[in-house]
Amino acid sequence: MKLKQTLSTIAAFIIDLVRKNPVIIILVALFLLFSILYSEQFISPINLTATLRQFVTLMLFATGPSIIMIIGSLDLSFVGIWMLGSTLLWVLMPYLGLVSILVIPLLGVTTGFILGIIHTKGKIPSFILTLSVLVTYWGVTSMLTKGHPNVVRGFSFITARLIPRIPTPFILSIPIIAVAVFIVTKTKFGTYLCAIGSNEEGARLAGIPVDWYKIIAFTVSGAFSGVGSMILFQHLGGSTPVVFNMNDLVRPLVAIILGGTPMVGGSGGPQRTILGVITFSILYRGLYLSPLIPQVIDLVVGIVLIIAIVLGSRSIQLKGVDIK
Amino acid sequence: MNQAGSSNQNYNQTLLEVRHVTKTFGSMKALDDVSIIVKRNEVIGVVGENGAGKTTLMKTLVGIHEPETGEWISNNKKVSFPKGPREAAQRGISIVYQEKGVIPSLQVYQFLFLGHENQGFCSPFGLKKKSMIREARKILAEFDIKCEETAYMFELPLATQKMIEIAKAVLSIRLEQNIQSDDSIIVLDEPTAPLTIEQRQELLKEICRMKKNTSFIFVTHIMQEVMEHMDRVYVLRDGKLVKHYNMTNEKVTEEDLTEVIIGHELLRTQGEAIQEASLFGTTVLSVKELSKKGAFYNITFTLNKGECIGIFGPEGSGKSEVIKALAGIIAYDSGSLTIGGLKAKPRDSAHIRLSNGVGYFSGNTEIELLHDWPIRKNISLLNIEKITTKYPKLLSFRKERQLAQHITKEIRIKTPSINTIVSTLSGGNKQKVTVGKWVEKSPKVLLLEDPTKGIDVGSRADIYETILEMKKKGTSMILVGDDPKEYITLCDRIILMKKGVIQEIISRTKFMEVVKL
Amino acid sequence: MKILHKHKQENGSLWHNLYSFSSIMPIATAFLIILIFQIINPAFLSSQGRVTLVYSMSYFLIVACGLTLVIMMGSFDFSVVSVMKLSALICVLYIGRFGYWVIPLSLAISMFFGFINGVLFAKLRIPSFMATLGISVVLDGISLLISRGFLHIMNDQLFRSLSVTFFAGLPTIFYWAIAFWFISTFLALATPFGRRIYAIGGNAKAAALSGINIDRYRIIVFIISGFMSGLAGILYIAQLGGASSEMGEQLMIPLFASVVAGGTALKGGVGGPHRTLIGVVIITWIQAGVLMMGAGRGLQVALMGAIAIVMTLATVDRRDASNRIVK
Repeated sequence: MKLKQTLSTIAAFIIDLVRKNPVIIILVALFLLFSILYSEQFISPINLTATLRQFVTLMLFATGPSIIMIIGSLDLSFVGIWMLGSTLLWVLMPYLGLVSILVIPLLGVTTGFILGIIHTKGKIPSFILTLSVLVTYWGVTSMLTKGHPNVVRGFSFITARLIPRIPTPFILSIPIIAVAVFIVTKTKFGTYLCAIGSNEEGARLAGIPVDWYKIIAFTVSGAFSGVGSMILFQHLGGSTPVVFNMNDLVRPLVAIILGGTPMVGGSGGPQRTILGVITFSILYRGLYLSPLIPQVIDLVVGIVLIIAIVLGSRSIQLKGVDIK
Repeated sequence: MNQAGSSNQNYNQTLLEVRHVTKTFGSMKALDDVSIIVKRNEVIGVVGENGAGKTTLMKTLVGIHEPETGEWISNNKKVSFPKGPREAAQRGISIVYQEKGVIPSLQVYQFLFLGHENQGFCSPFGLKKKSMIREARKILAEFDIKCEETAYMFELPLATQKMIEIAKAVLSIRLEQNIQSDDSIIVLDEPTAPLTIEQRQELLKEICRMKKNTSFIFVTHIMQEVMEHMDRVYVLRDGKLVKHYNMTNEKVTEEDLTEVIIGHELLRTQGEAIQEASLFGTTVLSVKELSKKGAFYNITFTLNKGECIGIFGPEGSGKSEVIKALAGIIAYDSGSLTIGGLKAKPRDSAHIRLSNGVGYFSGNTEIELLHDWPIRKNISLLNIEKITTKYPKLLSFRKERQLAQHITKEIRIKTPSINTIVSTLSGGNKQKVTVGKWVEKSPKVLLLEDPTKGIDVGSRADIYETILEMKKKGTSMILVGDDPKEYITLCDRIILMKKGVIQEIISRTKFMEVVKL
Repeated sequence: MKILHKHKQENGSLWHNLYSFSSIMPIATAFLIILIFQIINPAFLSSQGRVTLVYSMSYFLIVACGLTLVIMMGSFDFSVVSVMKLSALICVLYIGRFGYWVIPLSLAISMFFGFINGVLFAKLRIPSFMATLGISVVLDGISLLISRGFLHIMNDQLFRSLSVTFFAGLPTIFYWAIAFWFISTFLALATPFGRRIYAIGGNAKAAALSGINIDRYRIIVFIISGFMSGLAGILYIAQLGGASSEMGEQLMIPLFASVVAGGTALKGGVGGPHRTLIGVVIITWIQAGVLMMGAGRGLQVALMGAIAIVMTLATVDRRDASNRIVK
């Protein structure tokens, strides 16, 4: 009897979880699909490592913006923080040594704070504003690096193998992600962000200092992008990034939406984004293992994304909001 | 919780007194030297037309707006106005807003404590969710609100949301004051707007029950509520306090009150309706066994030219779904709809119905008008065919201007010019723009859903006059609304619906008997 | 009855529209920029300089006009650059096999993908942001596939003459651009079609209740956007003489910036191609001016980012500011 009860409680829990996060269905489906198609390669330690690597990249990029999406805005500056941060690190290395890696989170926090102020006081929409910052930072990166990738030595300990098969950046990212999830789900700050995203006027009427919280949100997002970029710097090659790849910008955003954080805000956050990132990573790894050439993979990713997003956008109809 | 014994000596004690409150926005005086008093165990009504300053006054009381001048008297001393909702709650006053008060994506317990988490629910490890949920359950039980404390606000029906808002207002005072006292004042800003008639009765009953422990300031348009439930009434007009009635002592009629609110004599009482029986001739619209699963079943009736039929019923009767199905806003499952002899398709959308001759408008100005556009463009959008040059088909700005000027004058839209942006108009005038464009369009059939929702009495009278003019000229109409008086003013026959089916189709005079007017 | 808020006016005739603050600022900025660059480098406005300016702005203007119509309607089209790229590649790769039929062919394909965008958005209810983004990924994949990553040269002189023949000191592509800009502006401001597009952008529900067939118009506008992008691609390759799948990598951001900087807000219902002209002038002339100064790519890009912020700041309607909730 007790066994039956426990089983049915577990079953109810799982059903509830799936109903709240429909992306799990896609995740499981993809996992099964690739497990069957390429069983030896997919369910292998090598693939696990590669998938976790992909996870780290996407997740560390996506954590900051997923917090901003809760208030219904977009933060595209994360790629800029990574690029410029890495470049500033290379510039400062000869003078400050290893400590100079702290310039990256410093840049992140400063960027976020200034963004927050310009957005709230200057009334500039976040999309254009963060896009402009991204472009500006990329430009400055180009100028400083003169177009060459410059290797920075001294941080290989970030990617040094600690546990076999598990990339160290993954281990390092766990506390970062955990803090992000805690902030959004368990603190007053998180509740207020949801309130602002859901009904900004109502939040104001309830006495919440909306502008102030928006500034904090952007600062926090910048902080997470900065801290994440400290790891990403070494994880993605240990040299100053030169090329701006649209994928770096778009894929984390898609992972956020896939995970179930609606673009209009009001709910979701890093805890949801984790699912989206896992799904995307599995998808990408699976396609990579297939005999398709890289160009076709991009094509297929695009198509599969559209399908997956249709399912995701259905849940956005929640509030009857007209997304244009 | 009968504290009548202990509070007898405190009965009629003044809880709140504000004097000479003035608030200016730009060059416009929203409040001009207004003074009010609220005593214990009272329900005060604050009435006035749209733009009279009611909501602004309430917002100064809870610290959202800071007045230029004004005295807040507390214990015979002058103190400053509160700086925000938290400080206001500490003084024992909180507000339930007319709209935008609810945060849809929050759970009930999160919403209840929103803004007041510091009162014992914060810890270095995050929010104390378990105790929040526990306290939430207690207050939901106290107010007899039937829902889960972990439910999301958007999942709940509007009436429940309103009750939760009221509970939140009471709760916020308790949390900020740390004691349960009888000295709280809850401001209700047009709380019954989203509710049906039954829900309103429920709410008003609840408020009378709560009067023993709490005082209320009730801002409203609905005369019936004022007449039946208020102890005292303040009338605002153009930011000034023009009259104060003590309803328990004085004899006040609804007409008196309405005239004070508008400031001039009513041009026509709302009981009359013009009926030209001779115009009723051909059938313009015929509905046979129309059904939609979960909404309405076997709806059958015919609409004749120049006639106005009202569909009346309580919440859940399906009247709103029926009219929306006729309009093309939602689809119906089975049955037939014939417009002017031609059969309509169940899944046709609104623009196709319009091309068949059936127009629709509602009191929901959000979806009726383009708020960033001037009056001129709103009127011409619906009537684009009338403002184009013959060949080639281009816009004629001259024709557009003339059309807009003509309509604005005819419907008496109060605006300095036809180029005024709609969002800056008052609610009543916004609706007049909607009515105006439909007057010009003059469709064969016009469907009206809640056409005067939340509109002040002056504008309402003008709109009724316009609608009756259209009817005289031959437009047939179907009305769905909440106020029986509206049906009596506009309709010739009334369809009574309940639980999705038609109970009876009766005449206007019989309807007047049924609703006892 | 006293009216509470300060009444906002919008005047009827076209001329009044041009005098508001948010119209003057972009024009003033454009003049300022021309002045600055002319001072820094006197060759800026020379005949050679003028030609360079015109070359950088013409194809850009055509795409921007199509994009403006979509944004006015309240939607997004992220696929414009990818369509332009594909159209250019089709011309250069298949002119050998199909001759000048490649022109109608690429226009047809561009309009086809515009149609797909429209259907995904209007009928399947996928937000336009996502639908067009997805399509752009697909199109980029196709471009990569057919070009195999190589640069391809257009040798056909007659084809190239579409863009590079000179009249009155300026190349034909300029006249194409001005012509289509004029057509778009006319469409937007003087026809019932344009009025309806603004309506859908202003409040789609109200537009539906006013007898507008929302789905149909949405699809048509996306087809137009596809057409303009395709046309721009054809003229672009005629102008440049070569294309690869790398082409237009960073065009998206300046495109959006010039539409928004010109005064067409992302929320829809306001602005128009007449405004976009100024935005395009500002963005492309700055780029060209900086190039002529000899500055590196990085500076260009950084400058553009900064200018986009300044432009948006300058063109945000201050009177509106307190009412609008910015997201």
